[in-house]
Amino acid sequence: MFEDLLEDIAQKNGLRQVNTYLKLAAGTGAILLCLLSTSYIAPLFIAVLLTFAILFLARVDAKTYTRLFIHPTWFAVMSVAGIVLIYGGSTVFWSWDPLPWFSLSITRESINQGFFVFSRIVGGMSAVCFIALTTPMTDLFIVMRQCRVPEVVIDLAMIIYRTIFIILNQVIQIYHAQVMRLGYSSWRESIHSFASLCGAAFIASWESGEDLIRAMESRCYNGKFALLGETRPVERIPLFAVMVFLSLSSLVVICSWDMTII
Amino acid sequence: MGHDNYIGNKSMSSIILEARGIRYRYPRSMEAIRGISFHVRKGEKIALVGPNGAGKSTLLMMFNGMIRPDTGTILFDSQPVRYDTASLRMLRKRVGFVLQNPDRQIIAPTVYQDVAFGPTNLGYPENEVKKAVALALSHVGLEGFDRRPPHHLSGGEKKRVAIAGVLAMDPDVLVFDEPTSGLDPSGSEDIMELLDELNHEGKTVIISTHDVELAYPWADRAILLLDGRILQEDVPDVAFGNPDHVRMAHLSAPTLLELYFELQKRGFSLPDKKPRTVLDMMHIIETLFSKTCCQARPGSITICNVDLDNEESLLEWISNRTGVSVGAMGTRAKQRAENRQIRLDFTYGVIDKCILKALLGEDSLILTTGSMVDRVHKRVDDYGKESGIHITVTSLEPGIVQTNEESRRQT
Repeated sequence: MFEDLLEDIAQKNGLRQVNTYLKLAAGTGAILLCLLSTSYIAPLFIAVLLTFAILFLARVDAKTYTRLFIHPTWFAVMSVAGIVLIYGGSTVFWSWDPLPWFSLSITRESINQGFFVFSRIVGGMSAVCFIALTTPMTDLFIVMRQCRVPEVVIDLAMIIYRTIFIILNQVIQIYHAQVMRLGYSSWRESIHSFASLCGAAFIASWESGEDLIRAMESRCYNGKFALLGETRPVERIPLFAVMVFLSLSSLVVICSWDMTII
Repeated sequence: MGHDNYIGNKSMSSIILEARGIRYRYPRSMEAIRGISFHVRKGEKIALVGPNGAGKSTLLMMFNGMIRPDTGTILFDSQPVRYDTASLRMLRKRVGFVLQNPDRQIIAPTVYQDVAFGPTNLGYPENEVKKAVALALSHVGLEGFDRRPPHHLSGGEKKRVAIAGVLAMDPDVLVFDEPTSGLDPSGSEDIMELLDELNHEGKTVIISTHDVELAYPWADRAILLLDGRILQEDVPDVAFGNPDHVRMAHLSAPTLLELYFELQKRGFSLPDKKPRTVLDMMHIIETLFSKTCCQARPGSITICNVDLDNEESLLEWISNRTGVSVGAMGTRAKQRAENRQIRLDFTYGVIDKCILKALLGEDSLILTTGSMVDRVHKRVDDYGKESGIHITVTSLEPGIVQTNEESRRQT
């Protein structure tokens, strides 16, 4: 139920040692290019390259990656279907007027637009997955501080991060204890068990909050959260790879300007 | 044996922590501490032993001012503890506290940040923080763990991070609440050895535990607590030697001590000094059966100081002697052995085990670091004086490689 955390994958991925800024540049650059592109080709191109990077460079398990991709893809398919039916256009392939003021049609323009939106979603998603799977939160904290995000925000984020795992651990234990005593055997029982799980988790988080204060006090807390480590140095090969990736993608964006599928 | 001398030396040193008639009651609850007075000297190893709910943790929390006694005073360095923020900060810097559950102590999202928490809040400049963190992590044997998030660590590793977090503030006194709870036996032994190492570097170490077997050979002094009062306070063999008190405190007597008493009951005349280690017990048994040593000539012990640049001669030494037992003392030595893929036969109680080997006529090698070398010499000498058996201790010098035969001839 709780075993597969994105953060855990990110902590162990093959690109962990690469400079965080480079990975962020690749990811955000890819998102921007997907948004800039006016054709479906560039986002798909980006998606293929980044998927390759995720699977073979970051060595993320293909099954995990597919599972991660499936849910948003369903949303994408549904919204794209809507776009295709409603968008309208001049070259009509099929149309249906169920009501006088409402018509559904499939046109050349709507198919183009639908496919374009779909490829953008896929491209953007692979970019987000790339960041999420290769850059753990702990590295992002460093970037946040270097980017002058207010200290309070970072400190809070760090405490939340640490606490999430402590509470998650407790929730898992309580959940297992409930399952072992058949807490989820029937629907009624599940509702009841889930309610008590939430209650117990709330109490646990309250207690861990008090523990946290005690722990900080006993270690001379003076309003300062610990310094962050340093980011990894920018190495030549990754830098080169990111530059090639971004310029190649930009080239594709420019070359495929306004290209449509039909 | 060396313990008496050791305690003798320590009793000369000054008192660092003292409790005078302290009482404490948790809100809406029973009185947890009911009038306790005792003191801790600099460099001592103290074990607070008692059943659950005896008040061990409450008492420990008073040492760094987390709990303020209702009546009575706690003195640190002969000064009564004051409870204003600035004084508490100073106190907590000097008295490091390691909680029972490391998850409650580890605050930050990465190991580095967590260990750096104390030094940062003490206002150290950045490079000093870095130095302190590196030192603390190397102390507990967690180099290279800087960027790991705590939830990816094992129980023993988390415990070590918690200890490193306290060590980074360089306290004089280290207080551990149940240092070995939740750890596997070898993890427990590792932690106890680490505590020994820290004590050897001059830190006063106070632990609470209900593991008698662990506390008995380790502590300089044991304090038995029951229902918020001190039941007995003495050297371990006396403190655990009183069956009534041990029973009252819901504890069990250490096996060695029990064996000693059982032998005594059967009419064997035993020395007054009670055994604290297997080596002591072996000595007693061997004297009993007037068989001073199984071998005409005891084996030798070789010490290799891994701080010196002697890796090659070490590897060659080992490859020249098959079947020699190798033990490592201290975290750095153990790491070195792991890096060089040297198989370790002993990782705790190393000196005693090597003496036992020597008594069987076998040679052994101890890997250790700087300050611990003297400790090996001292322990073996003490044993020699007591038992009359001379065991040769040689140091492995860089560049000098002796074969087994040569070293035999020399000894």
